[in-house]
Amino acid sequence: MKHRILPAITASILFFVPALAHADEPSKPMFSFSGYGTAGLSHTTENQADFTSNVLKASGVGSSGNWSGDVDSRFGVQLTANFSPQFSGVLQLTSEQRYDKTYRPTIEWANLKYQVTPNLSARAGRIALPTFLAADYRKVGYVLPWARTPVELYNLIPITNSDGVDFTYRLHVGDWTNVIQGSVGTTSIQYSQGTATATAIRGFSSTTEYGAFTARLSYVQGDLSLGLAKPLFDGFRQFGPQGAAIADQYDIDNKRVSVVGLGASYDPGEWFAMGELGRGTTNSFLGAKSAWYLSAGYRFGKISPYLVVGQVWADSNVSDPGLSVTGLPPQLAGLASGLNGGLNALLGAIGEQRSIAVGSRWDLVKNGAIKLQYDRITLGAGSLGNLVLEQPGFRRGGTVNVVSAVFDFVF
Amino acid sequence: MHITTGILLATALVAGAIPAKTGAVEVIVVVGANAPIPSLTLAQVADIFLGRTVALPNGTAIVPIDQLDGSAIRHEFYAKTTGKSPQLLKAHWSKLIFTGQGEPPREVADSEAVKKLVASSPSYIGYIERAAVDSTVKAVLAAR
Repeated sequence: MKHRILPAITASILFFVPALAHADEPSKPMFSFSGYGTAGLSHTTENQADFTSNVLKASGVGSSGNWSGDVDSRFGVQLTANFSPQFSGVLQLTSEQRYDKTYRPTIEWANLKYQVTPNLSARAGRIALPTFLAADYRKVGYVLPWARTPVELYNLIPITNSDGVDFTYRLHVGDWTNVIQGSVGTTSIQYSQGTATATAIRGFSSTTEYGAFTARLSYVQGDLSLGLAKPLFDGFRQFGPQGAAIADQYDIDNKRVSVVGLGASYDPGEWFAMGELGRGTTNSFLGAKSAWYLSAGYRFGKISPYLVVGQVWADSNVSDPGLSVTGLPPQLAGLASGLNGGLNALLGAIGEQRSIAVGSRWDLVKNGAIKLQYDRITLGAGSLGNLVLEQPGFRRGGTVNVVSAVFDFVF
Repeated sequence: MHITTGILLATALVAGAIPAKTGAVEVIVVVGANAPIPSLTLAQVADIFLGRTVALPNGTAIVPIDQLDGSAIRHEFYAKTTGKSPQLLKAHWSKLIFTGQGEPPREVADSEAVKKLVASSPSYIGYIERAAVDSTVKAVLAAR
């Protein structure tokens, strides 16, 4: 455990040196190199399910170990190339625990940007999806006041990028700045049992800034295909029109998914307050969910305590009567009951939870900060919440406590 | 582990020892003496130095020039115009860098270097101590 954190801290210190050394260089270099990272350690006494920061990860802390560095640890590097005042490119690689338990680096962004006018730019390649307030930089822990973005809201859309094009238009009216971003793209997401694809992704965001005030409205939709439960729905399709209707309703084959978000923050420096509200729909067994969080903090010099409360709940049914078994021959009735059970297990996994987190940030070095955070998660009645890797002995609907320590740095 | 902790503590002590006194210096925001820029508001200056705007409402391109990280005048300037501490500024720029939206202003060594650069082009804007203001530059805002 020590061995996992030590290299990250050492690396961060090595990188502080060059960051401090370029201070007196006035000309804009063609290439600039920067990076970020988080060395994190989480603990929970829960041992029948895992708490995770992102549902696409293989594991978190809990049933797979009461101590884990996998929840928040991450390392990212970015190369920016300024080919001309108008033309630039960015490549960002991140390493964090993936669906396959490895930390193999993945390409977070790789895009070329053309600045058409001072207020209009276009990008092509792999670009950040414009969703919630902190979505574009959710992986850069140093920028966040918390150990991680609130899980209830941010897990409504666990993906962070898509491959395509986008445009950004900046508008100034008096002291108001409004940035409008629109994007189209596709993406494929690997998870433990396969690959999901999202095509025809369309994203829109409008971000308004006025002094210390920031607000963002965002909308993303796409057509998702995910073979996770295909055998189950193939089974339903053998039961005539009723079975086919159930399969069409719940299977994820080219299903329109969308996430809408509205958030605002006020940060005059000495303190901050922010809140966001979002709703995700999938037209499938993943259900529809709404989530919100509210957070506030105060900055006593380098010590910044904070509070976060959040909640996620299902807007769609979390159970279904399924196939009617009356009148079926006993053999088929047994099969139908099995399929109904499988469907209800999927629907029952649509997580509901609320949580309260208290923590503090300590800016102990120039480019780095330590955060300690305590999360108390109350699961919805009969729900697994946002937890993963449920074990047979898990008691749904209870409470889970998680304590995390992270060291965030940028260079 | 002990060595690493030692380095961490030493870095923290050095960072804490950098002078960061507020309220001592009056900061004047300046452009070149011949720059076609009228006076600016506090909010306009904050937007320019936070990378939110690259042009004035009249269309004039504007490029901010920073003083050294850790210098008293820089601390004072950002505290008065944006309310942001050095840590919050670092977070602000990290946000822009890692979303591909911008890079922090270029830094020069001191007020003399700011004046020299600002006098060389009408699109530069910088900040210096009141005592350093001379005929080569024009004051557009006094940040008190």
